[in-house]
Amino acid sequence: MLTTVAVLATLFVSQQTDTQVAVRPGTRLDVTNVGGAIIVRTWTQNAVRVHAEHSDRMAIQIVLDAAALTIKGSSRRGPPQEQEVNYTITAPRWMALNLSGVHSDVEVEGSEAPVTVETVNGDVKCRGGTGYISLQSVSGSIGLQQAKGRVEVHTVSDGITLTDVSGDITGETVSGEVRLEGIESGNVDISTVSGEVVYDGTIRDGGHYRFSTHNGDVIIAIPDKTNATISVSTFNGDFASSFPVSVTETKRHRFSFTIGSGSARVELATFNGDIKLRRPGHLHGDDDHDGDHDQDGDHEPTRPTPPTPRPTPPTPPTLPR
Amino acid sequence: MKDQWTERLSDYLDEEMATPEREALEAHLAACVECSTTLLELRRVVGRARALDDQPPATDLWPTIARRIGVETGRRRPVRRFTVSVPQLLAASIAVIIASGGTVWLAMSRRAGPLGQQPAATSTAAVARVSWTSDTRYDAAIVQLQSALEDGRKSGRLDSTTVRVVEHSLAIIDTAIAQARRALVLDPGSSYLNRHLAETMQRKIQLLRGAAALATART
Repeated sequence: MLTTVAVLATLFVSQQTDTQVAVRPGTRLDVTNVGGAIIVRTWTQNAVRVHAEHSDRMAIQIVLDAAALTIKGSSRRGPPQEQEVNYTITAPRWMALNLSGVHSDVEVEGSEAPVTVETVNGDVKCRGGTGYISLQSVSGSIGLQQAKGRVEVHTVSDGITLTDVSGDITGETVSGEVRLEGIESGNVDISTVSGEVVYDGTIRDGGHYRFSTHNGDVIIAIPDKTNATISVSTFNGDFASSFPVSVTETKRHRFSFTIGSGSARVELATFNGDIKLRRPGHLHGDDDHDGDHDQDGDHEPTRPTPPTPRPTPPTPPTLPR
Repeated sequence: MKDQWTERLSDYLDEEMATPEREALEAHLAACVECSTTLLELRRVVGRARALDDQPPATDLWPTIARRIGVETGRRRPVRRFTVSVPQLLAASIAVIIASGGTVWLAMSRRAGPLGQQPAATSTAAVARVSWTSDTRYDAAIVQLQSALEDGRKSGRLDSTTVRVVEHSLAIIDTAIAQARRALVLDPGSSYLNRHLAETMQRKIQLLRGAAALATART
Protein backbone atom coordinates (compact mmCIF):
# COMPACT_ATOMS: atom_id res chain seq x y z
CA MET A 1 0.00 0.00 0.00
CA LEU A 2 2.76 2.42 0.92
CA THR A 3 4.50 1.60 -2.31
CA THR A 4 1.38 2.40 -4.27
CA VAL A 5 0.96 5.71 -2.53
CA ALA A 6 4.56 6.62 -3.15
CA VAL A 7 4.25 5.83 -6.85
CA LEU A 8 1.06 7.86 -7.17
CA ALA A 9 2.69 10.74 -5.39
CA THR A 10 5.43 10.85 -7.94
CA LEU A 11 2.98 10.64 -10.81
CA PHE A 12 0.65 13.40 -9.63
CA VAL A 13 2.78 16.30 -8.60
CA SER A 14 0.50 19.01 -7.39
CA GLN A 15 0.77 22.33 -9.10
CA GLN A 16 -0.92 25.67 -8.77
CA THR A 17 -1.84 28.29 -11.29
CA ASP A 18 -2.55 31.74 -9.93
CA THR A 19 -3.01 34.66 -12.23
CA GLN A 20 -5.15 37.74 -12.77
CA VAL A 21 -6.64 39.09 -15.99
CA ALA A 22 -8.18 42.52 -16.49
CA VAL A 23 -11.58 42.44 -18.19
CA ARG A 24 -13.91 45.03 -19.64
CA PRO A 25 -17.54 45.33 -18.56
CA GLY A 26 -19.70 43.02 -20.66
CA THR A 27 -17.13 40.28 -20.91
CA ARG A 28 -18.47 36.79 -20.12
CA LEU A 29 -16.66 34.16 -18.11
CA ASP A 30 -16.59 30.67 -19.63
CA VAL A 31 -15.13 27.87 -17.55
CA THR A 32 -14.96 24.23 -18.62
CA ASN A 33 -13.76 21.49 -16.32
CA VAL A 34 -13.70 17.71 -16.68
CA GLY A 35 -13.15 16.93 -13.03
CA GLY A 36 -12.81 19.02 -9.92
CA ALA A 37 -14.66 21.89 -8.37
CA ILE A 38 -15.47 25.25 -9.87
CA ILE A 39 -15.88 27.91 -7.21
CA VAL A 40 -16.64 31.45 -8.31
CA ARG A 41 -16.55 34.36 -5.89
CA THR A 42 -17.16 37.97 -6.82
CA TRP A 43 -15.59 41.33 -6.17
CA THR A 44 -15.82 44.91 -7.40
CA GLN A 45 -12.66 44.93 -9.48
CA ASN A 46 -12.78 44.72 -13.28
CA ALA A 47 -10.49 41.73 -13.24
CA VAL A 48 -10.67 37.97 -12.93
CA ARG A 49 -8.35 36.14 -10.62
CA VAL A 50 -7.84 32.48 -11.45
CA HIS A 51 -6.50 30.12 -8.84
CA ALA A 52 -6.30 26.51 -10.01
CA GLU A 53 -4.89 23.44 -8.36
CA HIS A 54 -3.98 20.59 -10.65
CA SER A 55 -1.36 18.00 -11.48
CA ASP A 56 1.75 18.92 -13.38
CA ARG A 57 0.34 17.05 -16.35
CA MET A 58 -2.36 19.68 -16.78
CA ALA A 59 -2.01 23.12 -18.24
CA ILE A 60 -4.55 25.87 -17.66
CA GLN A 61 -5.55 27.80 -20.74
CA ILE A 62 -6.86 31.31 -20.24
CA VAL A 63 -8.00 33.10 -23.37
CA LEU A 64 -9.49 36.58 -23.47
CA ASP A 65 -11.34 37.84 -26.51
CA ALA A 66 -13.89 40.57 -27.09
CA ALA A 67 -16.79 38.51 -25.80
CA ALA A 68 -15.44 36.18 -23.15
CA LEU A 69 -12.66 35.11 -20.89
CA THR A 70 -12.35 31.37 -21.45
CA ILE A 71 -10.70 29.10 -18.92
CA LYS A 72 -10.10 25.40 -19.36
CA GLY A 73 -7.57 22.78 -18.55
CA SER A 74 -5.73 20.76 -21.14
CA SER A 75 -4.00 17.49 -20.47
CA ARG A 76 -0.47 17.21 -21.75
CA ARG A 77 -0.70 13.46 -21.37
CA GLY A 78 -2.24 10.86 -19.14
CA PRO A 79 -5.64 9.37 -18.49
CA PRO A 80 -8.78 11.41 -17.79
CA GLN A 81 -8.61 10.86 -14.04
CA GLU A 82 -5.50 13.00 -14.00
CA GLN A 83 -7.42 15.89 -15.54
CA GLU A 84 -8.81 17.12 -12.26
CA VAL A 85 -8.56 20.82 -11.71
CA ASN A 86 -9.95 22.64 -8.71
CA TYR A 87 -10.73 26.23 -9.60
CA THR A 88 -11.28 29.12 -7.27
CA ILE A 89 -12.09 32.11 -9.43
CA THR A 90 -12.85 35.64 -8.37
CA ALA A 91 -14.81 37.60 -10.96
CA PRO A 92 -16.53 40.98 -11.18
CA ARG A 93 -20.09 40.93 -9.91
CA TRP A 94 -21.39 42.16 -13.26
CA MET A 95 -19.76 39.31 -15.18
CA ALA A 96 -22.05 36.73 -16.79
CA LEU A 97 -20.97 33.24 -15.80
CA ASN A 98 -21.05 30.19 -18.01
CA LEU A 99 -19.67 27.23 -16.08
CA SER A 100 -19.64 23.62 -17.19
CA GLY A 101 -18.18 20.48 -15.74
CA VAL A 102 -18.46 16.73 -15.89
CA HIS A 103 -17.40 15.46 -12.47
CA SER A 104 -17.64 18.86 -10.88
CA ASP A 105 -19.30 20.52 -7.95
CA VAL A 106 -20.01 24.11 -8.88
CA GLU A 107 -20.44 26.98 -6.46
CA VAL A 108 -21.22 30.62 -7.22
CA GLU A 109 -21.27 33.35 -4.61
CA GLY A 110 -22.46 36.93 -4.98
CA SER A 111 -23.11 37.20 -8.70
CA GLU A 112 -25.23 40.06 -10.01
CA ALA A 113 -25.33 38.76 -13.57
CA PRO A 114 -26.74 35.88 -15.62
CA VAL A 115 -25.47 32.48 -14.50
CA THR A 116 -25.43 29.25 -16.48
CA VAL A 117 -24.13 26.08 -14.82
CA GLU A 118 -24.11 22.59 -16.30
CA THR A 119 -22.54 19.58 -14.68
CA VAL A 120 -23.06 15.83 -14.92
CA ASN A 121 -21.93 14.49 -11.57
CA GLY A 122 -21.92 17.22 -8.99
CA ASP A 123 -23.89 19.60 -6.84
CA VAL A 124 -24.65 23.14 -7.91
CA LYS A 125 -24.91 25.92 -5.35
CA CYS A 126 -25.54 29.49 -6.36
CA ARG A 127 -26.08 32.51 -4.20
CA GLY A 128 -27.03 35.50 -6.31
CA GLY A 129 -27.60 35.87 -10.00
CA THR A 130 -29.64 38.30 -12.06
CA GLY A 131 -31.31 37.79 -15.42
CA TYR A 132 -31.31 34.37 -17.00
CA ILE A 133 -30.21 31.75 -14.48
CA SER A 134 -29.92 28.15 -15.60
CA LEU A 135 -28.57 25.52 -13.22
CA GLN A 136 -28.42 21.91 -14.38
CA SER A 137 -26.99 18.68 -13.13
CA VAL A 138 -27.61 15.00 -13.73
CA SER A 139 -26.49 13.50 -10.47
CA GLY A 140 -26.43 16.26 -7.95
CA SER A 141 -28.51 18.71 -6.02
CA ILE A 142 -29.38 22.21 -7.11
CA GLY A 143 -29.45 25.07 -4.64
CA LEU A 144 -30.23 28.67 -5.54
CA GLN A 145 -30.56 31.61 -3.19
CA GLN A 146 -31.11 35.33 -3.51
CA ALA A 147 -31.49 35.34 -7.27
CA LYS A 148 -33.65 37.46 -9.51
CA GLY A 149 -34.65 36.78 -13.09
CA ARG A 150 -35.78 33.88 -15.22
CA VAL A 151 -34.77 30.71 -13.42
CA GLU A 152 -34.50 27.24 -14.92
CA VAL A 153 -33.26 24.43 -12.68
CA HIS A 154 -32.98 20.81 -13.73
CA THR A 155 -31.46 17.75 -12.21
CA VAL A 156 -32.20 14.05 -12.47
CA SER A 157 -31.13 12.36 -9.31
CA ASP A 158 -31.32 14.78 -6.42
CA GLY A 159 -33.32 17.59 -4.94
CA ILE A 160 -33.84 21.23 -5.78
CA THR A 161 -33.92 24.03 -3.24
CA LEU A 162 -34.74 27.63 -4.12
CA THR A 163 -34.75 30.27 -1.42
CA ASP A 164 -35.49 33.98 -1.75
CA VAL A 165 -35.76 33.88 -5.51
CA SER A 166 -37.85 36.22 -7.64
CA GLY A 167 -38.89 35.79 -11.26
CA ASP A 168 -40.29 33.10 -13.50
CA ILE A 169 -39.25 29.64 -12.35
CA THR A 170 -39.10 26.27 -14.05
CA GLY A 171 -37.79 23.30 -12.08
CA GLU A 172 -37.65 19.59 -12.72
CA THR A 173 -36.07 16.48 -11.25
CA VAL A 174 -36.80 12.76 -11.35
CA SER A 175 -35.73 11.63 -7.92
CA GLY A 176 -35.67 14.29 -5.28
CA GLU A 177 -37.78 16.77 -3.44
CA VAL A 178 -38.28 20.32 -4.62
CA ARG A 179 -38.48 23.09 -2.05
CA LEU A 180 -39.18 26.70 -2.90
CA GLU A 181 -39.33 29.21 -0.09
CA GLY A 182 -39.37 32.99 -0.07
CA ILE A 183 -40.40 33.03 -3.72
CA GLU A 184 -41.77 36.08 -5.56
CA SER A 185 -43.08 34.94 -8.88
CA GLY A 186 -46.04 35.03 -11.21
CA ASN A 187 -45.02 31.96 -13.17
CA VAL A 188 -43.83 28.75 -11.53
CA ASP A 189 -43.69 25.28 -13.06
CA ILE A 190 -42.27 22.54 -10.84
CA SER A 191 -42.31 18.79 -11.25
CA THR A 192 -40.65 15.70 -9.86
CA VAL A 193 -41.40 12.01 -10.14
CA SER A 194 -40.35 10.84 -6.72
CA GLY A 195 -40.26 13.50 -4.07
CA GLU A 196 -42.19 16.08 -2.14
CA VAL A 197 -42.95 19.50 -3.58
CA VAL A 198 -43.06 22.45 -1.22
CA TYR A 199 -43.85 26.03 -2.20
CA ASP A 200 -43.98 29.09 0.00
CA GLY A 201 -44.21 32.25 -2.01
CA THR A 202 -46.43 34.70 -3.79
CA ILE A 203 -49.58 33.77 -5.67
CA ARG A 204 -49.96 36.78 -7.92
CA ASP A 205 -53.12 37.85 -9.69
CA GLY A 206 -53.00 36.51 -13.23
CA GLY A 207 -50.11 34.24 -12.37
CA HIS A 208 -49.69 30.61 -13.38
CA TYR A 209 -48.44 28.03 -10.91
CA ARG A 210 -48.06 24.33 -11.47
CA PHE A 211 -46.69 21.82 -8.99
CA SER A 212 -46.71 18.10 -9.68
CA THR A 213 -45.17 14.89 -8.43
CA HIS A 214 -45.88 11.19 -8.79
CA ASN A 215 -44.74 10.01 -5.38
CA GLY A 216 -44.90 12.59 -2.67
CA ASP A 217 -46.91 15.31 -1.05
CA VAL A 218 -47.54 18.71 -2.55
CA ILE A 219 -47.51 21.34 0.17
CA ILE A 220 -48.34 24.88 -0.84
CA ALA A 221 -48.61 28.07 1.16
CA ILE A 222 -51.53 30.21 0.12
CA PRO A 223 -51.16 33.77 1.38
CA ASP A 224 -54.11 35.56 2.86
CA LYS A 225 -56.11 37.60 0.31
CA THR A 226 -54.96 35.42 -2.54
CA ASN A 227 -57.06 35.47 -5.71
CA ALA A 228 -56.68 32.07 -7.31
CA THR A 229 -58.46 29.23 -9.01
CA ILE A 230 -56.91 26.11 -7.57
CA SER A 231 -57.09 22.77 -9.33
CA VAL A 232 -56.32 19.70 -7.23
CA SER A 233 -55.59 16.26 -8.74
CA THR A 234 -54.61 13.17 -6.80
CA PHE A 235 -55.19 9.51 -7.52
CA ASN A 236 -54.06 8.01 -4.30
CA GLY A 237 -53.98 10.64 -1.63
CA ASP A 238 -55.86 13.10 0.49
CA PHE A 239 -56.47 16.80 0.39
CA ALA A 240 -56.18 18.98 3.44
CA SER A 241 -56.33 22.69 3.94
CA SER A 242 -55.57 24.67 7.06
CA PHE A 243 -58.25 27.15 6.04
CA PRO A 244 -61.78 26.70 4.68
CA VAL A 245 -62.24 26.19 0.97
CA SER A 246 -65.40 25.84 -1.07
CA VAL A 247 -65.18 23.39 -3.94
CA THR A 248 -66.82 24.62 -7.13
CA GLU A 249 -66.15 21.79 -9.54
CA THR A 250 -65.58 18.12 -8.80
CA LYS A 251 -64.50 15.42 -11.17
CA ARG A 252 -63.04 12.02 -10.65
CA HIS A 253 -59.57 12.40 -9.12
CA ARG A 254 -59.81 16.13 -9.58
CA PHE A 255 -61.59 19.11 -8.15
CA SER A 256 -61.16 22.82 -8.14
CA PHE A 257 -62.11 25.79 -6.06
CA THR A 258 -61.76 29.52 -6.12
CA ILE A 259 -60.24 31.85 -3.60
CA GLY A 260 -61.06 35.55 -3.92
CA SER A 261 -61.51 36.57 -7.54
CA GLY A 262 -59.80 33.42 -8.81
CA SER A 263 -57.40 35.44 -10.93
CA ALA A 264 -54.33 33.23 -10.62
CA ARG A 265 -54.26 29.64 -11.90
CA VAL A 266 -52.78 27.09 -9.51
CA GLU A 267 -52.49 23.42 -10.50
CA LEU A 268 -51.56 20.90 -7.82
CA ALA A 269 -51.14 17.26 -8.73
CA THR A 270 -49.76 14.11 -7.12
CA PHE A 271 -50.46 10.51 -8.00
CA ASN A 272 -49.36 8.99 -4.69
CA GLY A 273 -49.45 11.63 -2.03
CA ASP A 274 -51.39 14.28 -0.23
CA ILE A 275 -52.04 17.83 -1.27
CA LYS A 276 -51.90 20.28 1.58
CA LEU A 277 -52.68 23.96 1.62
CA ARG A 278 -51.11 25.98 4.37
CA ARG A 279 -50.63 29.56 5.35
CA PRO A 280 -47.22 31.12 4.75
CA GLY A 281 -44.73 30.21 7.44
CA HIS A 282 -46.79 27.20 8.54
CA LEU A 283 -45.92 24.66 5.90
CA HIS A 284 -45.33 21.86 8.34
CA GLY A 285 -48.53 22.12 10.31
CA ASP A 286 -49.92 18.94 11.82
CA ASP A 287 -53.10 17.87 10.07
CA ASP A 288 -54.62 16.72 13.34
CA HIS A 289 -53.98 19.84 15.30
CA ASP A 290 -54.07 22.91 13.14
CA GLY A 291 -57.69 22.81 12.15
CA ASP A 292 -57.48 21.39 8.67
CA HIS A 293 -60.48 21.91 6.47
CA ASP A 294 -61.57 19.57 3.79
CA GLN A 295 -63.75 20.53 0.85
CA ASP A 296 -66.83 20.45 3.03
CA GLY A 297 -65.26 22.58 5.69
CA ASP A 298 -65.95 20.02 8.39
CA HIS A 299 -62.37 19.94 9.63
CA GLU A 300 -61.92 16.37 8.53
CA PRO A 301 -59.29 15.77 5.91
CA THR A 302 -61.06 13.84 3.19
CA ARG A 303 -60.35 12.17 -0.08
CA PRO A 304 -61.55 14.46 -2.85
CA THR A 305 -62.69 11.58 -5.04
CA PRO A 306 -64.83 8.51 -4.55
CA PRO A 307 -62.98 5.54 -3.09
CA THR A 308 -60.78 3.89 -5.65
CA PRO A 309 -58.91 0.60 -5.46
CA ARG A 310 -55.41 1.58 -4.57
CA PRO A 311 -52.40 0.25 -6.41
CA THR A 312 -49.53 -1.24 -4.52
CA PRO A 313 -47.70 1.54 -2.69
CA PRO A 314 -44.69 2.69 -4.66
CA THR A 315 -41.36 1.29 -3.74
CA PRO A 316 -38.76 3.20 -5.71
CA PRO A 317 -35.69 1.10 -6.36
CA THR A 318 -32.69 1.76 -4.21
CA LEU A 319 -29.79 3.43 -5.88
CA PRO A 320 -26.85 1.07 -5.69
CA ARG A 321 -23.82 2.61 -4.09
CA MET B 1 -52.73 13.00 -36.32
CA LYS B 2 -55.40 15.68 -36.07
CA ASP B 3 -58.97 15.35 -35.00
CA GLN B 4 -61.89 17.72 -34.69
CA TRP B 5 -60.62 19.06 -31.41
CA THR B 6 -57.06 19.78 -32.40
CA GLU B 7 -57.91 23.20 -33.78
CA ARG B 8 -59.75 24.12 -30.60
CA LEU B 9 -56.95 23.51 -28.14
CA SER B 10 -55.77 27.08 -28.45
CA ASP B 11 -59.23 28.38 -27.56
CA TYR B 12 -59.33 25.99 -24.65
CA LEU B 13 -56.02 27.28 -23.37
CA ASP B 14 -57.24 30.83 -23.68
CA GLU B 15 -60.38 29.92 -21.77
CA GLU B 16 -62.52 31.12 -24.65
CA MET B 17 -64.81 28.11 -24.83
CA ALA B 18 -68.38 27.89 -23.69
CA THR B 19 -68.92 25.52 -20.80
CA PRO B 20 -70.62 22.69 -22.77
CA GLU B 21 -67.94 22.76 -25.42
CA ARG B 22 -65.19 22.90 -22.82
CA GLU B 23 -66.66 19.92 -21.03
CA ALA B 24 -66.90 18.02 -24.28
CA LEU B 25 -63.28 18.77 -25.04
CA GLU B 26 -62.23 17.74 -21.55
CA ALA B 27 -64.04 14.47 -22.01
CA HIS B 28 -62.21 14.02 -25.28
CA LEU B 29 -58.89 14.88 -23.64
CA ALA B 30 -59.49 12.16 -21.12
CA ALA B 31 -59.59 9.59 -23.88
CA CYS B 32 -57.13 11.04 -26.38
CA VAL B 33 -53.50 10.83 -25.38
CA GLU B 34 -52.42 12.75 -28.48
CA CYS B 35 -54.61 15.75 -27.72
CA SER B 36 -53.78 15.75 -24.03
CA THR B 37 -50.09 15.56 -24.83
CA THR B 38 -50.39 18.31 -27.40
CA LEU B 39 -52.29 20.43 -24.91
CA LEU B 40 -49.57 19.89 -22.34
CA GLU B 41 -46.90 21.07 -24.74
CA LEU B 42 -48.97 24.03 -25.85
CA ARG B 43 -49.45 25.01 -22.24
CA ARG B 44 -45.70 25.01 -21.80
CA VAL B 45 -45.20 27.09 -24.92
CA VAL B 46 -47.69 29.65 -23.73
CA GLY B 47 -46.14 29.64 -20.28
CA ARG B 48 -42.77 30.36 -21.76
CA ALA B 49 -44.17 33.00 -24.05
CA ARG B 50 -45.73 34.73 -21.09
CA ALA B 51 -42.36 34.80 -19.44
CA LEU B 52 -40.82 36.78 -22.27
CA ASP B 53 -40.17 40.44 -21.69
CA ASP B 54 -42.66 42.56 -23.55
CA GLN B 55 -40.33 45.45 -24.05
CA PRO B 56 -41.55 48.57 -25.80
CA PRO B 57 -39.75 49.62 -28.97
CA ALA B 58 -36.87 52.02 -28.54
CA THR B 59 -38.75 54.56 -30.66
CA ASP B 60 -42.52 54.71 -30.61
CA LEU B 61 -43.61 55.73 -34.11
CA TRP B 62 -47.30 55.76 -33.31
CA PRO B 63 -47.65 59.33 -31.97
CA THR B 64 -46.23 60.79 -35.18
CA ILE B 65 -48.38 58.57 -37.36
CA ALA B 66 -51.43 59.34 -35.28
CA ARG B 67 -50.90 63.07 -35.63
CA ARG B 68 -50.64 62.77 -39.41
CA ILE B 69 -53.80 60.77 -39.77
CA GLY B 70 -55.65 62.75 -37.17
CA VAL B 71 -56.16 60.00 -34.63
CA GLU B 72 -56.18 60.44 -30.89
CA THR B 73 -52.81 59.38 -29.43
CA GLY B 74 -53.85 58.54 -25.93
CA ARG B 75 -54.25 54.83 -26.54
CA ARG B 76 -52.44 52.26 -24.51
CA ARG B 77 -50.29 49.64 -26.05
CA PRO B 78 -52.35 46.53 -26.56
CA VAL B 79 -51.86 43.76 -24.08
CA ARG B 80 -49.82 40.98 -25.55
CA ARG B 81 -51.83 37.87 -26.29
CA PHE B 82 -50.41 34.52 -27.00
CA THR B 83 -53.10 32.99 -29.12
CA VAL B 84 -51.59 31.21 -32.08
CA SER B 85 -52.85 28.60 -34.46
CA VAL B 86 -52.52 24.96 -33.60
CA PRO B 87 -49.99 24.28 -36.38
CA GLN B 88 -47.90 27.12 -35.01
CA LEU B 89 -48.28 25.78 -31.52
CA LEU B 90 -47.39 22.28 -32.59
CA ALA B 91 -44.27 23.56 -34.25
CA ALA B 92 -43.49 25.65 -31.22
CA SER B 93 -44.13 22.77 -28.89
CA ILE B 94 -41.60 20.67 -30.74
CA ALA B 95 -39.19 23.57 -30.45
CA VAL B 96 -39.85 23.70 -26.74
CA ILE B 97 -39.23 20.00 -26.42
CA ILE B 98 -35.96 20.43 -28.20
CA ALA B 99 -35.04 23.46 -26.17
CA SER B 100 -36.19 22.20 -22.82
CA GLY B 101 -35.41 18.54 -22.91
CA GLY B 102 -35.30 18.62 -19.16
CA THR B 103 -31.83 17.27 -19.16
CA VAL B 104 -28.48 18.82 -19.00
CA TRP B 105 -27.01 16.50 -21.54
CA LEU B 106 -28.67 17.76 -24.63
CA ALA B 107 -27.64 21.27 -23.80
CA MET B 108 -24.14 20.14 -23.06
CA SER B 109 -23.88 18.16 -26.25
CA ARG B 110 -24.62 21.30 -28.21
CA ARG B 111 -21.65 23.04 -26.74
CA ALA B 112 -18.02 22.80 -27.23
CA GLY B 113 -16.52 21.62 -24.02
CA PRO B 114 -15.80 18.44 -22.22
CA LEU B 115 -18.79 16.79 -23.77
CA GLY B 116 -18.22 18.25 -27.19
CA GLN B 117 -20.71 18.49 -29.99
CA GLN B 118 -21.75 15.28 -31.62
CA PRO B 119 -24.22 15.37 -34.50
CA ALA B 120 -24.68 11.64 -34.03
CA ALA B 121 -26.90 12.41 -31.08
CA THR B 122 -29.29 14.35 -33.27
CA SER B 123 -30.81 11.34 -34.94
CA THR B 124 -31.89 9.76 -31.71
CA ALA B 125 -33.09 13.07 -30.38
CA ALA B 126 -35.12 13.66 -33.52
CA VAL B 127 -36.81 10.32 -33.11
CA ALA B 128 -37.58 11.11 -29.51
CA ARG B 129 -39.14 14.48 -30.17
CA VAL B 130 -42.45 13.18 -31.39
CA SER B 131 -42.51 9.58 -30.40
CA TRP B 132 -44.55 9.44 -27.23
CA THR B 133 -47.69 10.30 -29.14
CA SER B 134 -48.45 6.71 -29.95
CA ASP B 135 -47.38 3.62 -28.12
CA THR B 136 -45.81 1.99 -31.16
CA ARG B 137 -43.66 4.94 -32.01
CA TYR B 138 -43.00 5.57 -28.37
CA ASP B 139 -41.82 2.02 -27.82
CA ALA B 140 -39.63 2.21 -30.92
CA ALA B 141 -38.04 5.41 -29.68
CA ILE B 142 -37.45 3.89 -26.27
CA VAL B 143 -35.75 0.87 -27.82
CA GLN B 144 -33.55 3.05 -29.99
CA LEU B 145 -32.56 5.35 -27.15
CA GLN B 146 -31.91 2.47 -24.79
CA SER B 147 -29.69 0.96 -27.44
CA ALA B 148 -27.70 4.19 -27.61
CA LEU B 149 -27.43 4.18 -23.84
CA GLU B 150 -26.23 0.59 -23.88
CA ASP B 151 -23.65 1.44 -26.51
CA GLY B 152 -22.41 4.26 -24.32
CA ARG B 153 -22.11 1.93 -21.38
CA LYS B 154 -20.25 -0.75 -23.33
CA SER B 155 -17.89 1.69 -24.93
CA GLY B 156 -17.13 3.35 -21.63
CA ARG B 157 -18.23 6.75 -22.86
CA LEU B 158 -20.71 6.83 -20.01
CA ASP B 159 -19.07 6.35 -16.65
CA SER B 160 -20.55 3.85 -14.22
CA THR B 161 -21.89 6.51 -11.87
CA THR B 162 -23.86 8.20 -14.60
CA VAL B 163 -25.17 4.88 -15.89
CA ARG B 164 -26.30 3.97 -12.39
CA VAL B 165 -28.08 7.27 -11.96
CA VAL B 166 -29.81 6.96 -15.32
CA GLU B 167 -30.90 3.38 -14.65
CA HIS B 168 -32.15 4.30 -11.20
CA SER B 169 -34.11 7.22 -12.60
CA LEU B 170 -35.52 5.12 -15.43
CA ALA B 171 -36.68 2.55 -12.90
CA ILE B 172 -38.48 5.25 -10.94
CA ILE B 173 -40.15 6.55 -14.08
CA ASP B 174 -41.07 3.03 -15.22
CA THR B 175 -42.70 2.40 -11.86
CA ALA B 176 -44.65 5.63 -12.22
CA ILE B 177 -45.71 4.74 -15.77
CA ALA B 178 -46.83 1.28 -14.69
CA GLN B 179 -48.85 2.71 -11.83
CA ALA B 180 -50.45 5.33 -14.02
CA ARG B 181 -51.35 2.69 -16.60
CA ARG B 182 -52.90 0.47 -13.95
CA ALA B 183 -54.85 3.42 -12.65
CA LEU B 184 -56.12 4.18 -16.15
CA VAL B 185 -57.44 0.65 -16.43
CA LEU B 186 -59.53 1.38 -13.38
CA ASP B 187 -60.51 4.83 -14.54
CA PRO B 188 -59.96 5.27 -18.26
CA GLY B 189 -61.93 8.49 -18.38
CA SER B 190 -59.74 10.46 -16.02
CA SER B 191 -58.22 13.46 -17.74
CA TYR B 192 -55.76 13.79 -14.89
CA LEU B 193 -54.50 10.22 -15.29
CA ASN B 194 -54.23 10.53 -19.05
CA ARG B 195 -52.28 13.70 -18.76
CA HIS B 196 -50.11 12.34 -15.99
CA LEU B 197 -49.27 9.24 -17.99
CA ALA B 198 -48.41 11.30 -21.06
CA GLU B 199 -46.17 13.56 -19.02
CA THR B 200 -44.39 10.69 -17.35
CA MET B 201 -43.84 8.90 -20.65
CA GLN B 202 -42.50 12.10 -22.09
CA ARG B 203 -40.15 12.43 -19.19
CA LYS B 204 -38.74 8.98 -19.86
CA ILE B 205 -38.08 9.99 -23.45
CA GLN B 206 -36.34 13.13 -22.29
CA LEU B 207 -34.17 11.25 -19.85
CA LEU B 208 -33.20 8.62 -22.37
CA ARG B 209 -32.61 11.18 -25.05
CA GLY B 210 -30.29 13.06 -22.77
CA ALA B 211 -28.44 9.91 -21.81
CA ALA B 212 -28.11 8.90 -25.45
CA ALA B 213 -26.78 12.32 -26.34
CA LEU B 214 -24.30 12.09 -23.53
CA ALA B 215 -23.27 8.60 -24.58
CA THR B 216 -22.47 9.79 -28.06
CA ALA B 217 -20.91 13.02 -26.92
CA ARG B 218 -18.59 11.97 -24.17
CA THR B 219 -14.99 11.44 -25.09
